[in-house]
Amino acid sequence: MTRGPLFHEQTARQRIAALVDPGSFGELLPPPERITSPYLAQLGIPVSFDDGVVIGRAKLGGKKIYIAAQVGQFVGGAVGEIHGAKLTGLFKAAARDRAPCVLLIESGGVRLHEGSAGEIAIAETMRAIFECRAKKVATIAVIGSDIGAYGGMGILSTCCDFRVMSEHGRLGISGPIVIEKWMGKKAYDSSNRALVWKTSGGKTKYLLGDADALVHDDAGAIRDAVAKLLGRSSAVTLKSVKARQKELEKRLKRFGATTDPNDVWKGMGVRDVAAASLASGPEFAAMTRRGK
Amino acid sequence: MREKGIMNTAKSALRRQNKAQRLERVGKLARGKFVSPNNVPQVLKRIIESGDILCLEGDNQKQADFLANQLATLNRKDLHDIHLVMSCITLPAHIQLFQKGMIRQVDFCYAGPQGTAVADLVKAKKFPVGAIHTYNELYARYYMDLTPRVALIAAAQADRKGNLFLAANTEDTPAIVEPTAFSDGIVFAQVNEIVDRLPRIDIPADQVDLVVEAPYPMHLQALFTRDPAAITDVQVLMAMVALRGIYEKYEVQSLNHGVGFNTAAIELLLPTYGERLGLKGKICKYWMVNPLPTMIPAIESGWVESVFAVGGEVGMERYTAAHSDVFFTGRDGSFHSNRAMGQLAGHYAIDMFIGASLQIDINGNSSTVSKNRITGFGGAPNMGCQPTGRRHPSKAWLKVGAEANPGPGALPGRKLVVQMVETFQSGRVPTFVERLDAQDPSIRKALHGVAPVMIYGDDVTHIVTEEGIANLAACRSIAERQAAIRAVAGYTPVGLKRKKRETEELRRRGIVQLPEDVGVRPSEASRSLLAAQDIKGLVRWSNGLYDPPPQFVDW
Amino acid sequence: MEKFAKAFPSKPLAARTAKPWALAGVVGSGNLEVLLERGGRPSGTMECHVETSIPGYKASWLAALADFAHNYPAGGTKVTINDQGAPPVLVNLRLRQAYDHLIKGDK
Repeated sequence: MTRGPLFHEQTARQRIAALVDPGSFGELLPPPERITSPYLAQLGIPVSFDDGVVIGRAKLGGKKIYIAAQVGQFVGGAVGEIHGAKLTGLFKAAARDRAPCVLLIESGGVRLHEGSAGEIAIAETMRAIFECRAKKVATIAVIGSDIGAYGGMGILSTCCDFRVMSEHGRLGISGPIVIEKWMGKKAYDSSNRALVWKTSGGKTKYLLGDADALVHDDAGAIRDAVAKLLGRSSAVTLKSVKARQKELEKRLKRFGATTDPNDVWKGMGVRDVAAASLASGPEFAAMTRRGK
Repeated sequence: MREKGIMNTAKSALRRQNKAQRLERVGKLARGKFVSPNNVPQVLKRIIESGDILCLEGDNQKQADFLANQLATLNRKDLHDIHLVMSCITLPAHIQLFQKGMIRQVDFCYAGPQGTAVADLVKAKKFPVGAIHTYNELYARYYMDLTPRVALIAAAQADRKGNLFLAANTEDTPAIVEPTAFSDGIVFAQVNEIVDRLPRIDIPADQVDLVVEAPYPMHLQALFTRDPAAITDVQVLMAMVALRGIYEKYEVQSLNHGVGFNTAAIELLLPTYGERLGLKGKICKYWMVNPLPTMIPAIESGWVESVFAVGGEVGMERYTAAHSDVFFTGRDGSFHSNRAMGQLAGHYAIDMFIGASLQIDINGNSSTVSKNRITGFGGAPNMGCQPTGRRHPSKAWLKVGAEANPGPGALPGRKLVVQMVETFQSGRVPTFVERLDAQDPSIRKALHGVAPVMIYGDDVTHIVTEEGIANLAACRSIAERQAAIRAVAGYTPVGLKRKKRETEELRRRGIVQLPEDVGVRPSEASRSLLAAQDIKGLVRWSNGLYDPPPQFVDW
Repeated sequence: MEKFAKAFPSKPLAARTAKPWALAGVVGSGNLEVLLERGGRPSGTMECHVETSIPGYKASWLAALADFAHNYPAGGTKVTINDQGAPPVLVNLRLRQAYDHLIKGDK
């Protein structure tokens, strides 16, 4: 039962190294350039040499890609001015060079200490993502880390062509504590980890179609899933947005009144909820209608 | 002669008569042995007399919480001058008894969850403590000078006769019931439910006077669940060092583990790193520990011959029942524990005790007491000491004994007593100190001159830190012991005082060993060596038989 | 925040290393990042810059860094540390990891 390191336990640099072709990663704005957040320094908060995101060029299966990995341990992977500018620039470079862009997300959204700059940076990055898609350059978000993809980064991930998730990953807009704060503990108990994962975890997101692949919590599995999606991209059109809107309306009608996430699972064809809960990502996928 | 004996019964049966009077006072408040929950405060008033020695069952895990809460509704005018004897002061209700001034004296072992409240009571001079004991020490006194007049206990089930079933958490109950029942004391049990037929009888009805079906199930603390996700790389490093430098070196066969993350890391390294070192079948075969979930991978990999426990663990019921070849189980097939017997095993029959402390002083004394938190001991000192009554040899016992170079009038062997600590606690609080907080004059005074030292430096054989191992057993003088401790105390103020030359000399003699000296490369230390990285991994290893408490479930 | 710098005597670093710089660790609660760079500094000293969120532990820091400079040939390197309350053991571990990466590359 010994296995390699779990993806969600690796550092941002380890994740990139494990995902791309060996030795192919060339970091842009590397730590020796010391481009750190002036805001955090003013507030007496420790800064980091990469401002919480590692970006660069690499090859995957011999194909040129751009890749970024957020550092969840550094202020929750939150997006500040520099962090955001690095993301924007990366997607712009991807669009310019027509090279697919892979984003390893681990972020609660915008960094509170530099809110406006972070918000703007996320909006600009979204624009760059749509620019990629307009040019049929694949954009792929990988969500399989401790913090997940929430807030602005949750939204941003859904702007990408594809989302690859592990059962460990979570995707949402408001984080569990925020939901509890606004809706009350009775409606949503953020300390109920099973509830949190059943509503925002990889398995549920896969069932509902928000995630395109559900894979093992390991870099090799993620690489394989990403490699299959590199050549596929589609522009965002009014037609595609309207179709998506219809799907969401249907979902709301079907599950809007449901209070138990297990009912959503059952409604989506999961027969044995207990077994499916314990199953690995790929096992789970095989147990569902979607996986067949 | 025989007649004289009978004549004497009148005088020597006063206690029995007094018991009968107390039960008579209960009268219609009970139907036979059975009391309804509403009548409990009245019944307590009638069976307890001011000045009694009262035992309130508060174990490390299981709590007679309904009876404790009802007792706490009474006041000083109902009951006063009570001499309270109990293992663990755990609940707010326990603290209320002191605040209401009902207690004349308390003798106990451990106050973990109420450690801060106890320290406050001490400061307010509202905590008239006799002594802080170890578990078996307190049980022993139940048979000598602290025999309870009344014992309020907790059980899982009772049948219509008053037989009791204790389920996985037997813990202290037999050690409380026997001295009370056989000295004409009153045993009053709260049970989760009354049933027609018990799975097995743990306490016979003959030793039980009153029973109440509590309106809520007894409080049970999940104390031994350690989430592998919280184990750090540094703890993995220390575990590797301990495995090579102690487990492998001394061929430790029988042992007790503390409940911390350090030892959890060792358990999770057995099927991976331990297997690679070829240690399976050579070490870690006989255990005296609670059914620790982090032991599941080692058990599943065939490392473990047997496990005896002082208590249960929430969620391990189905797993232990399915592994009766390893765990002690009753005729009904379910798990059995016993704290008194487990502590006895931990005292006499293990090669090694390994645990952690909050503070270790320059002489190797350790403690978990601080000025603002008085926790006491529990069972660690029974196991973390040298049992001079031991006569049977084992490989490990003789090997440490030889290193300690005993004189002609000393035991030939020694138990391994290992303290495994990081040099700093969280928040950069140093573990190593010149003087223990437990030695504070105010604490000493409240405890009649005895500082609450958990494990004495003279009993400790090894200290393991992330810096390496200090073999205290092999030190030839107090000065040498202090130098060895400074050598592994890292960058704490204690460690900064070490002298390079002294350290080098101790290292040359093998008294101080760095990770490299026992064949461990620090850069190798990684969580990925753990057999399971999270609770879900443990559930998968258990083939779905482990049911972790809900706060640990994220699926 | 506390900030300090000091250079420690150390035997010169190997003439060739796998990389010009190496980074180990992450700035997170109870953790730190170490950037180790080779450069044109005097080959007999290891130059250290520390920024830490928990003031008051300068003595421990200096002792840990001095030990590292003593135990490893790191002369001619520059060490920069961003710390968020890591225990000294992590200082050592991260320095060693960064050093390994610098010498042998990321493996």
